[in-house]
Amino acid sequence: MRLSAALALLLSVTALQAGIFSSDESSEQKVKCVYSGTDGNCVEPILRSQNELVITVTGQGVAPSVTSSPAQAYALAKRAAMVDGYRLIAERVKGVQVEGQDTIKNMMLQQSSTKTSVEAIVRGANILNTTFKEGLCEVEMEIALSYSRVLH
Amino acid sequence: MRSRNGNRPFVFTSLTLISILSYGAENYYIGYRLTTKNAQPIEETFSLSKAMQPCPKNHGSALSLQRHDDESLEMVLNRDRTLFLEYAASQDFRLKSDETLTSTQLKSIQTLTLPTQCYAVEFNGDLVTITLLK
Repeated sequence: MRLSAALALLLSVTALQAGIFSSDESSEQKVKCVYSGTDGNCVEPILRSQNELVITVTGQGVAPSVTSSPAQAYALAKRAAMVDGYRLIAERVKGVQVEGQDTIKNMMLQQSSTKTSVEAIVRGANILNTTFKEGLCEVEMEIALSYSRVLH
Repeated sequence: MRSRNGNRPFVFTSLTLISILSYGAENYYIGYRLTTKNAQPIEETFSLSKAMQPCPKNHGSALSLQRHDDESLEMVLNRDRTLFLEYAASQDFRLKSDETLTSTQLKSIQTLTLPTQCYAVEFNGDLVTITLLK
């Protein structure tokens, strides 16, 4: 009885190892790595050739304090919200450059500032929905990314 | 639901209509820039210029805007600017955003630019049809 149990355990361990190794080999064949930077770590691509990646953001904008009419306030707030939406899309797709600066004098923090910037060209973003409430305009925008759109 | 064969006359008519509009239309270069500061628009510029040479004839979808009396293109675009921007959203928009955060304040400046491109503009009674020429 003990002998059969030990044999079964040995067989199951061998089968498990074989399974692990075979899955590693197949995954190495399937996954194409995108290397980020110089660290050489394998980063799996988010965008795959067979499916689309849809990014949805909500941009917010406020009308200037002095406008000639409520309609103008709405139009200007919507435009500001669109710009914010484009910025959010660019941030998600391309990333943000962050720069921080601290000034320390006599072991005391004098000034601290953080700058973020993004610069991008965005094509094919769509406006899904617009809401305007209490001076704040929110624009829901989406962009669909696919191989054909990125490469052409 | 139309059959595949049934769509052909419709597509042909649409393409012919767009072609006629593009050939009979005037060409304009239109560009746009909007700067916002802390989520409020502070500067908006529409640049508009009649093309001195004809543009290439490849065209995409068209936008039709209402025209009252004898309004110029500039006046029509000023009134229906949002519609034009939504139409232009299918093209390239260039975005530059800078945000600075200090212990006392957050300053955010964003610039959205629609690069200047050539459009075919057809004035037809109380309608203006704008088609991007690529």
